[in-house]
Amino acid sequence: MKKEGQKIADISVMIAGKAGDGVLFTGNVLAKVLKRQGWEVGTYRDFPSNIRGEPTNYTIRASLKKIQGRSDEIDVLMAFDCASIINRAGDLARGGILLCDGQTLARLAPSKSKGTTHHRFPLRKLARDNFGKEIFKNMIALGVLCYILDLDFPILEKVISEVFLAKKGEEIVQKNIQAIHLGCKQAKEIVEKKEIHPLLKKKDENRLFISGDDAIAFGALAAGCRFFAAYPICPATEIWQWLAKYLPQFNGIVVQTEDEIAALNMALGASYTGARAMTSTSGPGASLMMEAFSLAGMAEIPVVIVHVQRAGPSTGMPTKTEQADLNQWIYGSHGDFPRIVISPGTIEECFEFTIKAFNLAEKYQCPVILLTEHVYGHNFFSVRKFDLKRTRIDRGKLLSPDELINIKDYKRYKFTSDGISPRALPGMRNGLHMVESNEHDEKGYRDEEPENRIKMMQKRMKKLERASKDLVPPKLWGERDAEIGIIGFGSTFGHIQEAMAQLKERGIRAKYLQMRTLWPFPVEKVEQFIAGCREVFVVENNYSGQLSSLIRSQVSSTLKMRNILKYSSQSFRPIEISTQVQKAL
Amino acid sequence: MRREKDFHLIDPTWCIGCGIYGIFSALKKTAAKLDLDPQQLVLVTGIGCHGRLNNYFKAYGFHSLHGRTLPTASGVKLSNPRLHVVGVSGDGDAYSIGLGHLIHSIRRNINITYLVVDNRLYALTQGQTSPTSHMGYVSVSTPGGSKEHPLDGLQLALASGGTFIARGFSGDPTQLASLIEEGMKHEGFALVEVLSPCVTHNKIITYEWFRENIYKLNEDSSYDPKNKMQAWKRLTRKAKIPLGLIYVEKKPSYESLVLPDKKKPLVFNDLEVDDLRLEKIMHKFQ
Repeated sequence: MKKEGQKIADISVMIAGKAGDGVLFTGNVLAKVLKRQGWEVGTYRDFPSNIRGEPTNYTIRASLKKIQGRSDEIDVLMAFDCASIINRAGDLARGGILLCDGQTLARLAPSKSKGTTHHRFPLRKLARDNFGKEIFKNMIALGVLCYILDLDFPILEKVISEVFLAKKGEEIVQKNIQAIHLGCKQAKEIVEKKEIHPLLKKKDENRLFISGDDAIAFGALAAGCRFFAAYPICPATEIWQWLAKYLPQFNGIVVQTEDEIAALNMALGASYTGARAMTSTSGPGASLMMEAFSLAGMAEIPVVIVHVQRAGPSTGMPTKTEQADLNQWIYGSHGDFPRIVISPGTIEECFEFTIKAFNLAEKYQCPVILLTEHVYGHNFFSVRKFDLKRTRIDRGKLLSPDELINIKDYKRYKFTSDGISPRALPGMRNGLHMVESNEHDEKGYRDEEPENRIKMMQKRMKKLERASKDLVPPKLWGERDAEIGIIGFGSTFGHIQEAMAQLKERGIRAKYLQMRTLWPFPVEKVEQFIAGCREVFVVENNYSGQLSSLIRSQVSSTLKMRNILKYSSQSFRPIEISTQVQKAL
Repeated sequence: MRREKDFHLIDPTWCIGCGIYGIFSALKKTAAKLDLDPQQLVLVTGIGCHGRLNNYFKAYGFHSLHGRTLPTASGVKLSNPRLHVVGVSGDGDAYSIGLGHLIHSIRRNINITYLVVDNRLYALTQGQTSPTSHMGYVSVSTPGGSKEHPLDGLQLALASGGTFIARGFSGDPTQLASLIEEGMKHEGFALVEVLSPCVTHNKIITYEWFRENIYKLNEDSSYDPKNKMQAWKRLTRKAKIPLGLIYVEKKPSYESLVLPDKKKPLVFNDLEVDDLRLEKIMHKFQ
């Protein structure tokens, strides 16, 4: 917890239990309320790849300043079962509070050294006695938290109403509100005044509360995506489910295919025909898509592939986070062909880069991978409204019927100075051509002559040589003249920023290069950054240091680079980064 | 009125006597009969000797990945249903690597005409055994004779809920052309299997062998292609192979059920950013 004078500026609340207990549900309500109270909110949801029974926890972090990731410790822990008490009590910060259910759960002595306090509430008993069902324990628990955080009742009641009214009716809404009041009353009797953490009430200012997956889906809709094909896979399914609801309203469609191979091939068929097409997947699905990925490159068909990384390899840990699929898209599939790989570091970038991805795909007529992670895909953050007025659609060299009619002897794969050929669509007059998965000539017909092969390979690969002006460059953060440098991509964004703040407190100044386009690799900017550092740390969530290896393969001056790796299936805590940096220096 | 030569780009280079010449001929006949506009026709092929069709047949063409003819063709059809979409695969493409897609395309009843060129081996890759090769078939890949039971694609199609199931013979392009024509007119997934000899690699399943083992179903006036049980009996009978329209049924096509705008294909959407509408949707994230 951080304080600014007397008022609380940053607090983390965790709800923990077993899957099926209502942890995620309760957490979602709390997060929404805090957001509507005007706080910057970020969630960190840790749930198993299972419907019931295994440990689940939900951390809501609320701050007066913009936040991008989890904090090091939690300040309030609401535990629904023994395992949660035992496993998560260690996460409590100095002066933290542990709240739990009932008398029969594990007795853990409050930590004297940390000054934590413990309180027990008969949540399940109260639920059964007052409402006849144990499930009401969740709202009673929320009532307890309501007292401790001094939550705004009207906002809380409005959120409860929104969540329950449509599906369960007014009676249930009222019961849940009563449950909250009950919990609040209980807490008032037990919790001491000095233990409460009243949070300021501010204006919300119409901010959004949105996950990475939703931001990407919304970005796709805004970008003109009208064809989406996918196979269910955690953590990418939410993108598709959101689009399934809205694309038809914009005369677009969503197809659930029989597998990921069909998904990408169908998207390519749609794109070839002129639709802006997309698919979304994670590691296992991406592996299945590799052949079609190479087809997109060979046949120069635009397509956007969203990859929400999860812990691998193989089936891995479907609901846990990792950054180990970078190699898959940089080096993946057989043969040489052009590809663009971009990685958003914030929720805003999830939205913006999706739009960018579609424009890049059609301009350079190649596959574009939007590489993000479970920790962004499945967590919610408060953000300012997206600026739709800045959204631009750029379809590259897509020919209009009038332009095509005037072309003599149209060639779909015409050799041009920039390698990009004018693109006709099936159904257009004067544009007859063939799309070939084999090597082909300018008209698309199969051609195995070495001379043509050399020219075609150069044509395809050269397209991205002049793409740097259109690609998102890496972004520099921190103190420009600092000699300690940190490089990272994707969701480590927030954790690195906070680690730098921690280092600054200890007198160590650092700067951070946020990689945003991973391929084509921004050699110059990275070289420049490394040249201006005495020590460089590459921070990433994988075992083998994939980003680190990529940098080493592209940039010459890498001798002073060191890896900070975490591959436990959890994202970094800022303290882990700052401690390792300090130790190494 | 277009003629067959309007669909003939260049002379093919398949082996002399290859069954695919018959299929090429039938396709041209049908295209001319229906007076199709080559620019409104998309021919999607897979990997195999049949894959050369795009080089010879005048239309928009997509030579896709091995086994992926149907997902590719489906993406085309859904994006612009005004286009006539014809898919062609060999027995390897359709009944081996692409088998999953076949069943699901049938389930969707997507309006594509799908020709499966069945020569009972993998010709392009020099003669390996295929899912339709008979038990005991000796080839470069099964020198001791195949130990797998052959697949009957049409039985599978019938069991999967196929709404148009037919079989032709490349040695009879006239009948084949009329089957393709009916398939193209059919509202839904039309499967036309084409028995087709490979004169280079298959010395057993030859034109003669086929002629001795086929019969024309529709010559029997008592046969009703709308009768599913009859179709099943004929397909499973251990006698000669039936040719003709084996089964037909009316079911709504996938596009008719999923496309939001029946009049405007989604490729003709104006992609101009409608920020007012999008603002309203964005509001729901609060």
